[in-house]
Amino acid sequence: MIERVAPAPGEALGAALTAEYAAIYAYGPIGVRLSGTARTAARQAEAAHRRRRDALVMQLSTTGAAVPADQAGYALPFPITDRASALRLAVEVEERTAAHWRAALAATTGADRDQALDALLDYAVRATRWRKTAGMTPVTVAFPGRPT
Amino acid sequence: MALGAAAVPLTGCDLLGGDDGPPPAPDPLRPLLDEALALAAGHRDAATAHPDLAAQLTPIADAHQAHAAELARIMGVSLPSGTPVTTGAPTTDPDATLTDLRGRERAGRDAAVAACAAAPAERAALVGSIAAARATHVEALK
Repeated sequence: MIERVAPAPGEALGAALTAEYAAIYAYGPIGVRLSGTARTAARQAEAAHRRRRDALVMQLSTTGAAVPADQAGYALPFPITDRASALRLAVEVEERTAAHWRAALAATTGADRDQALDALLDYAVRATRWRKTAGMTPVTVAFPGRPT
Repeated sequence: MALGAAAVPLTGCDLLGGDDGPPPAPDPLRPLLDEALALAAGHRDAATAHPDLAAQLTPIADAHQAHAAELARIMGVSLPSGTPVTTGAPTTDPDATLTDLRGRERAGRDAAVAACAAAPAERAALVGSIAAARATHVEALK
C-alpha cells in the first residue's frame, strides 16, 4: 500500500487559485514593458489566467472548499525595468503556475485531473513561447512544472 | 477417455510447461517508455542527418531520454541497453524532418495525456510533466 502524500483536491486547487491571482497581478507590470505581438501575447496569457481563476473560484465555492482571498499585491521575484526582465518574469510566472497545476494532478481524478493537466500543458507551452520571444535557449525544460 | 487422454499433450500449457499461471500484466506505462526511447532516437537521428538542427533537437532528445529514465525508475525496470532503437532514416529535407517530428510529438503528447488521466496518484505528476514536455516540443519545432 502506497502512502497517500497528495494534498486534498480542495487544498491543491486552492493553491492553484493563489498562483493564478499572482500570475494575473504579474502580467500588469509585464504588459507595460512589452509592445506589438509580445504585448498581445501577454494580454492573451493574462486572459487565460483570469479564465482559470474564475473557474476555480466558482468550483471551490460550489464544492464548499475554502476559497483563498486575492491579495492587493504580490511580491515580484525581481524588478521589471525593461523588455528583457518582463519576458524573464513571464517565463517564471508560467512555470510557477504550471507547477501548482502539476501538483494538483496527484490530488485529483476524472474531470478535475483533466482540468489540471490542461492548465499544465497550456502554461508549459506559454513558457516555451516566452523563451522563444526572449531568445533564450533551450526553449524547453525536460519536466515542466517539476520543482527544481 | 482415450481421446481425452490423447488430447492432453496437445494443449499449449503442457507443451510450454506453463504451470506458473498467466504472465504478469504489462505495466500500463510501458508504451510511454518505449515511445520516449523512440522519440529520443528520432531526434538524435535527425540531428545527425541535419547538423544545423542539432542545437534545436539535442535538448529535446535529452528530455525524452530523461523521461525514459524516470519512467523506468518508477516502473522498477531497467532501461533497455544495447543499440538504441531507430525509426528509419530522417528525410533529406530539414523542413520535412521537422514536420515529421512535430507530428510524432503531437501523437506522443496525446498518448501521455491519456496515460495521465488513467494513472494512479503517485504517477500522475510525472506523466503529466511528460505530456507537457511533448506539448512544448511541438512548439519548439515550429
